[in-house]
Amino acid sequence: MSRTEPLLEVRNLTKHFPITEGIFNREVGRVRAVDGISFTVDPGETVGLVGESGCGKSTAAETILRLEEPTDGEVLFDGQDLTAFDDTELKAFRREAQMIFQNPDSSFDPRMTVGESIAEPLRIHGVGPRERRQTIARDLLERVGLAADDADRYPHELSGGQKQRVALARALVVNPRLIVADEPVSALDVSVQADVITLLREVQAAFDLSILFISHDMSVVREVCDRVAVMYLGEIVELADTETLFEEPQHPYTRALLRSIPTLDPGERGIDASLTGEVPNPSNPPAGCNFHTRCPEVIQPAELDLDQSTYRGIVDLRVTARRHGIDVESLRDLVGVDPDASLTDEQAAEMRAALRAEHDVPETVDDPEAESVLSSALDEIVRGETAAGVERLAETFASPCESTDPGLRDTGVGHPAACLQFDDAETAVDREESELTAD
Amino acid sequence: MATQRETDVTARTDRETFEEVDWDTQEVSTFNVSRTAVAELLAYGAIVVLFAYDYAVIRNEHPLIANWDVLSVEWLFVATLVAVFFHGVVPLYRNPRMREFYWSRFVKNRVAVAALVYLLVVFVIGIVGPAVMSPPETRFTNRIVPPVGITATVGGVVKTGTWQFPLGTTAEGKGVLKLIVYGMRVSMEVGLIGTVFTVLIGSVVGSLAALATALDIGWLDEVLMRYVDVQSVFPTFMLLLLLTYLFGSELWMIILLFGFFSWEGIARTVRGEALQRSSEAYVTAARASGASMLYIVQRHLIPNSANSIVIGATVAIPGFILGEASLAFLGFSDPTTFSWGRTISAGQSNLATAWWISTFPGIFLFFTVLSFYYVGEAMRDAMDPRQQIEGGGGL
Repeated sequence: MSRTEPLLEVRNLTKHFPITEGIFNREVGRVRAVDGISFTVDPGETVGLVGESGCGKSTAAETILRLEEPTDGEVLFDGQDLTAFDDTELKAFRREAQMIFQNPDSSFDPRMTVGESIAEPLRIHGVGPRERRQTIARDLLERVGLAADDADRYPHELSGGQKQRVALARALVVNPRLIVADEPVSALDVSVQADVITLLREVQAAFDLSILFISHDMSVVREVCDRVAVMYLGEIVELADTETLFEEPQHPYTRALLRSIPTLDPGERGIDASLTGEVPNPSNPPAGCNFHTRCPEVIQPAELDLDQSTYRGIVDLRVTARRHGIDVESLRDLVGVDPDASLTDEQAAEMRAALRAEHDVPETVDDPEAESVLSSALDEIVRGETAAGVERLAETFASPCESTDPGLRDTGVGHPAACLQFDDAETAVDREESELTAD
Repeated sequence: MATQRETDVTARTDRETFEEVDWDTQEVSTFNVSRTAVAELLAYGAIVVLFAYDYAVIRNEHPLIANWDVLSVEWLFVATLVAVFFHGVVPLYRNPRMREFYWSRFVKNRVAVAALVYLLVVFVIGIVGPAVMSPPETRFTNRIVPPVGITATVGGVVKTGTWQFPLGTTAEGKGVLKLIVYGMRVSMEVGLIGTVFTVLIGSVVGSLAALATALDIGWLDEVLMRYVDVQSVFPTFMLLLLLTYLFGSELWMIILLFGFFSWEGIARTVRGEALQRSSEAYVTAARASGASMLYIVQRHLIPNSANSIVIGATVAIPGFILGEASLAFLGFSDPTTFSWGRTISAGQSNLATAWWISTFPGIFLFFTVLSFYYVGEAMRDAMDPRQQIEGGGGL
């Protein structure tokens, strides 16, 4: 790919939402919706931003277009920092970048005709009179595959796919250079999806548009995007050419996402098949690598060499203990001990076994040293000394992923990913200066 | 259904297309309004000019138009009718589907249809009547005449009503029928002018508050809605009594006081409704295109809250009419204003002998208020989205 000046350059973009409390709106915490992302979009290029719902993709889109004020970072459009734009400059920029939304039903004012909706950006930018705007809208309708007379219809008379065509027409009407498409086909049937995607690509080719394509659907992303940025909990964890990303995914999260693409094999279906643990709350993201609470490839400390699934189970146990505490009461209940009675050894053993089973930790761990630490820690936990037990577990089983934020770093295959597995190279790139585009 | 065709996004026609818009020439003009809006503004302008002419040049020396000396409240009324015309009649005329849809639901309520006919009659007579009838005059020779065909003993004298005063006369010799016709105009003025102000202030405040919340300008919402709270617990009626006592009780003032202190209900409803709309993607789309806050309020939030606004308005009208009648009954009204409440109050002392003085205006007041309630109820049923019949989403 030839290197040109990027049309859009996002640098360390951050959007935190304060959580406030009380009548004085005291800030008690922050939702880190977007936590320092950087990427570029070249002219005519489609860049995908993928991740599970709630990972901050849509907030990122709105912040990039300055529909939300960024907390930190810069967005350069055509070399100019639009976070510093005043109202006039911003209004001029609004003509250059347009947006398409996920839900076709809420994308249009039910009281406006399709023609009025398409012409609305023209109207906002002072193109008149009405007849002229309607002529332009009717022409556009035909070019996106609808009839000119549909301009007089109301949105509820159109199907979802037709509405997304209209949405594209509305985005095109000001002749923009960038379109931010927030899950534009997710609400559509698969057959209709293909039509809309085809149209999007035609339009892109015809008008040399740059597209920021936001999606959770890896199969759609593969079809549409030139490059892909994978987001997890407000951070970009991997950034690569689409082909490379799909052929050689470097980050464990990307691999998990790729496994979530539906296959014919029922055993491998769904993201749950590969990821354990729950999605952390962005108001309290995990320390270190924020994926370590769910990562199937979480790194073991140097002294340990356990079976990976066993180690994953132990980390799960520790994450649960740290986040919610262990519910010893219900464990006692399960084994049938009176709340005040002291535990017999058999009962304690039974509770330990229950804890292990709950987190998929085998009854005995291969490494004898690890096993002895694990069982004495579990014993402390079931006997009510949770803090001591958790502390003991941490001493032996703490993963480097818990303490070190990997940041995007070189992976050795040519594109960056944010994972400590690539520590060997010792080329952790400074995020401010990183060259983030894959060659 | 719309037809879907083969696409050719680069197809060129001889019509103007979006690529041909010359943006360099467009940056300047951001002000453009529809022809209807221009017509409306011209109408208001004409009213203001005529008012200024009447106020500064003619100075009540002779009537402005023929023998119609336009009073202060009538200026407001004319402006109100212009507003109702451009925001009620014109949209209904332009959108036949919407008109037919609402009408088909409205007519299901037969009582409401009868009430609507009654109100239209009152409205027309209220407009036309005072223009063709001379105002009721005080004639002590005609004191307390019973309605036509009725014989009554008043002050020891037996009188029988004649066609000269079909509904009898008052103790001051004014014809009750004339008083009722003039009272129709007063009631319509009170109800409509007051409501237009209420709706205007309420919907602007409500949708601004909602949009402020949506745009993270929390303090603006906070200021507006806390004021609404204060106003809703404020004893407005006491304030009205005080102000009319201090500054006189001209009708236009009473109406404006009603209008300015009764919009909190509409503001709350509209805020709730608009808050819901603010999170819709079409509002984000408009923002992404550079729409101002005012544009979004005007083009998206208020039109989409129209149902709640209309419902709020139909509840407000009878309230204002009753409120004005109560004030007039208590004596807080301009002696030159022929309010029904005033006539009812005047007939009170003669109720034993001359029952017709209070009764007839009372009946009209009762039916007018009742009719507004019925019509309001039927409109609520017709417009309530929860009772939406299929396919009505865009109406």
